[in-house]
Formats: sequence, structure tokens, C-alpha cells
Amino acid sequence: MALSSGAALKGLGVGLNSSVGQVWKVKPHAALPARAKTANGAEVEAQSLKASISAVARDLDQLGEKAGGTSAEIFEALKFLLEDDELFEVASAHMDDGWSAAAAYGMAVDEFGELLGGDPTFVERVADLQDLSKRVQAHLAGIELSLNLPESGNLVLVGEDFSPADTAQFTPAVIGVVTTKGGPTSHTSIICRSRGIPAVVSCGDAAQLETGDSVLVDPVGDRVVVGGDASLATQSITFVAINDEPIIPVRSNIGTKADAEAAAKTGADGVGLFRTELLYLSEKTQPSVEQQTAAYSEILAAAPSGPIVVRTIDAGSDKPVPFLDMGHEENPSLGVRGYRLIVEHRAFIEDQLKSLEAARQATGREVWVMAPMIATVQEAADFCNLARSIGSFKVGIMIETPSIAVLANDLAGVVDFVSIGTNDLSQYLFAADRMNPALGTLLTPWQPGLIRTLARIADAGNATGISVGVCGESASDPTFAVVLAGLGITSVSASPSQVDVVKTALSSVDLAKAKEIANSVLAATSPEAAKAAALDGLASA
Amino acid sequence: MAYQAEVVVLDPIGLHARPAGQIVKFVKEGAHDVKIGPNADELVAGNSALRLMAMRATTGSTLLVVVETDDDSLGKSIVDQIQEFLKG
Repeated sequence: MALSSGAALKGLGVGLNSSVGQVWKVKPHAALPARAKTANGAEVEAQSLKASISAVARDLDQLGEKAGGTSAEIFEALKFLLEDDELFEVASAHMDDGWSAAAAYGMAVDEFGELLGGDPTFVERVADLQDLSKRVQAHLAGIELSLNLPESGNLVLVGEDFSPADTAQFTPAVIGVVTTKGGPTSHTSIICRSRGIPAVVSCGDAAQLETGDSVLVDPVGDRVVVGGDASLATQSITFVAINDEPIIPVRSNIGTKADAEAAAKTGADGVGLFRTELLYLSEKTQPSVEQQTAAYSEILAAAPSGPIVVRTIDAGSDKPVPFLDMGHEENPSLGVRGYRLIVEHRAFIEDQLKSLEAARQATGREVWVMAPMIATVQEAADFCNLARSIGSFKVGIMIETPSIAVLANDLAGVVDFVSIGTNDLSQYLFAADRMNPALGTLLTPWQPGLIRTLARIADAGNATGISVGVCGESASDPTFAVVLAGLGITSVSASPSQVDVVKTALSSVDLAKAKEIANSVLAATSPEAAKAAALDGLASA
Repeated sequence: MAYQAEVVVLDPIGLHARPAGQIVKFVKEGAHDVKIGPNADELVAGNSALRLMAMRATTGSTLLVVVETDDDSLGKSIVDQIQEFLKG
């Protein structure tokens, strides 16, 4: 069915600029054939396998030449894996047993993947190896994996979703991207945001677009307009500060010393989320209290002035810390993660808090500590008692689970503050896996189910005197930050690159106006209506 | 005859992809016959980066290098070069 000119296809926008170009449809790759035996004989299969390995190696050479520099070294390293003698030996043994070249190579790669598996040093190499295996099997089956994009032109790529292997092939001709699946945190979205390519994701109707159609990619309007020109693009709101200070403090999210230094160059009022697990993910053995204290002291000293909210370790079997034996779980996001690690690893969490207290004393900074993945008031009380027995902190918890969101009133007298992680809260509230590209529309912060939950937590905070911050991705969106302030949230924390934009937005309205906007957003019953209500409210500011 | 000597993994990440690749490139380019392993009973081919990585040799571990050659000075130079790659 052809789309009529002027038709607007709804999706989720990524970026603030629009673009107009011709649709270039990318069909999903054909599935690789199932592993099978063949009557061709091992010799014939071995010849085909050699030829396909050579062909993929030539592709890698070309990619390496194009990329140059250190990327060229990466492609050379990949070639060593691809052409590994022992890998071919193992594959040969399978071909001797009658398996086809593609099946044999796939099986051999799986076996080496197994040998290297479970070791964080090799996680990426195993992924590389599997990617190479796919390329070899595709070559054997005559399946085209390359996008073959032209170098010049004005192309709007339209496809289901794009993998890292796909986005690596984007040429300067790609001026817009539209995906039928994938949410605002998908790989495609992250790449487009970082390269400044206007994109609209989760745009199901885009499947009806045809190569050559002219379209306007309008991320601010969350839509793609068939036959549209630049004059139809929705203008992003330009915030103009009218007050010297934002209506609520804007803090920064950090994870490393480099982040702390970047945040210190912004107008951030302290740190609203210091993710500590990054300090441990590459350590093979548990760092001593002295080592941890030194690392924390450096980061605390570099952080922007104001309070520093530190989250205790947020690891799990999908984000394993090598020296904490975490094993395998069917559903890591519903497993033993965050504060739940205390059952098996109490000494580690105590050491972390001791190190933070020592670093607090060494630097003289104001440190708040909070635990992630709290589901009950009892867990909150346990953590707060532990933290207060170790140091002079303000003590609080993350609100990520729906159960603790419902119990927020009961945290009175237990915690000093709470901080809402909207990414995980959305995932658990909507029962929608953050990594599943088909569920992106459920995970936009404009979902009324999330916004009304945030309002209830903010009300509980106001009633009990507990301060309520938001440190999720949503607080980095300046428009949404105004809504948060209006709902009664008492501080927001954004990534360093967004701090100043969010601060300007929160200085462009007074609290009464923010409340009025929040009330109209609260009345909305769909994400589209909620966002439109916020934009309308701001336009009339 | 074979020349054999020990090397120590000094690379802070252990025997990971980069040193493994460097060793394989060196062994292949010189057409050397080299085997490496934690001991004489568990040697793997020095021309396979995957086998080398699969040993999971960690920082500080000692590896035995066996070079098939009658020329001890050549053997020693090969082992020295491999030690160089393992310095990280």
C-alpha cells in the first residue's frame, strides 16, 4: 500500500534537528541456513570454507584500509581470529564427519567461544568471533550482509533496527535514520545521537515506505512526514533563562574521574548519581580499602561543588564483577543484583562504605550514599542502619522497583532521601525488557503510567519531608525536567553533556508555571498527549 | 632437538588478544615451530591465537616455550621476542 504525500508516521524522535532525504530501505538479512550434513565430501567443503574465509578476510582488509589508524589494527586482530589454524583444524574434523562447511565453521567457533567464555577479558573477542562466523556462513550461503551504501547523496535509511556491524557501514550520505523497532536507548539511537543524525525509532508504519520516497525526518515532532519539506519540521523549544537559578538543583551523573572533571566544568550543583561499579568491573581481585579510598578520594575531589550522591555497587550476573562470584541467571535483571548482593557479599559492601567514609574525611566533601535495587522497607532500613554505623553520610535508596514506589510513604523516618532511576523503574513497571528492541514505545518517560507513579512518589516525599531526586535518562531531557520539577521532584541529575541545557530549561520557568504544565501532563492518557501537553504549556510560557 | 625456556606473563590483562596476535604473527612470519603452555604436558600451538587465549594465562603466571630447532641462539632469540610481547 502506497502512502499518500503528507502522511505523518508516528515514532520516537532522536535528536533536535530534522532532515529531508530519499528513503533507502534496508531489508533484514535472510536467515542463515540451519546446520546440516552434506554429501559433497570433506574435501569439497574444505575448499569452499577456505575460499569464504579468504573472501571475508579481504573484506576486513578493505574495512581496515578505510578506517586506518588504530581501527586498522583491530581489523588485523580480527583477521588472526578468522584465519586461525586451529579453528580450521577443528572445523576440518567436523567436515570429516560429514558436516557442511558452514555448519563445521559455526560449530568450531561455538567450541572456542565456550573455551573463552565466562572471562570478562574475552567477552568482546567472543562476540567478534561470532560475528566473523556469521559473515563466513553468510558468504557460504550467498547471503549479502553488507549494506553497500553510496558515499554521496541524501539518504534516509529505513529498516527494522541497526546492529553495530550495520552502523559501522554508515556513509556520509546517511542524513536520516528511521527504524520500525528499537527504542530511545537502542544502539541505533545512541549512535545517531552521538553522530548528530536525525532519527525516528519505533516507527512501525515506516515499513510501508518504499526506496526513493522523499521524507522529512522530524525527531522533535516524533514523526516522519511523507513528501514533507524542511518547513514542516517541528521546531525544538528554545529555553531562555529568566531566573539566575533553576527552580530545583541540577546535579550531574558520573562514573569515573574523567566524568567528574567534565561535570566540574558545567554548572552542576554536585553529583546526583555516582555509579561506583565501573571501578570494580575490570578488577580481578577485590581492591583493598586503601586502594578504594584512594580511588574515591580522587573522584570526590574532582567532582563539582555541592553534595555527592554515591550509589553502592550495582552489579549483577549481566554486569558481573570478576571477584564476586555471580554465576549464571536466567533473568539477570530480576536476579541477585544491587543491594541483594549483600546476602553473599556483606564484607564487600561494608568495605565500600568504609572506603567512602575515609574518602569523605580525606576530601571534606558532603557525601550521600544510597543502595540500588531495594524492594522492601526492611531492606531500606537495613541498608540505612549499616551505612549510618559506618560513616557520617546522608543515607537513602534508589527507587527502581514498583513495590518500593508504592511504599514510599513508609520510608518516613527510615531514609533521608530517595532517588528515582526512571530507566529501571520503567522496565519493571511495564514488565518491558530495556534490551528488547520491540518494546521501545513502552519505555518512553512520557508514558502516563510512569508519570503518575513519579507524581505519587513526589507527593510522598513532600508529605514526609524526604527529598526526592530523579537520576534516570529522563532527567536529561530539558522538557521532561520541567515536568519533574512541577510534579514536586526536588532535584534532577543529568549526564554532564546535558547539565547546562537542563539547567537553562529549569531557569526559564517559575515553579507555578512548572506545576501548571505538570498538571496538564498528568491529565494525559497517552504518551503523545502527555508530551504535547508539556510542549503546549511551555510554548505559552 | 628443541630449545626450551620459561617466560612470565607481565601484561596487566594477562595473555589477551593483542599479545596472542603478536605472537602468532611472529611465529607465522618466521615459519617457526613453537609450542607454549603452562607445563610440558599442556603445550598448545604457537600459531593459534585462539589456543593461546584459551590457556587463560593470567598476569604473573609462568609459561614454558618450546622451539623446534637445533640452533640454541635462534631458540633463545625467539623466546626473548615472545617475552617482549608479554610485557604489555
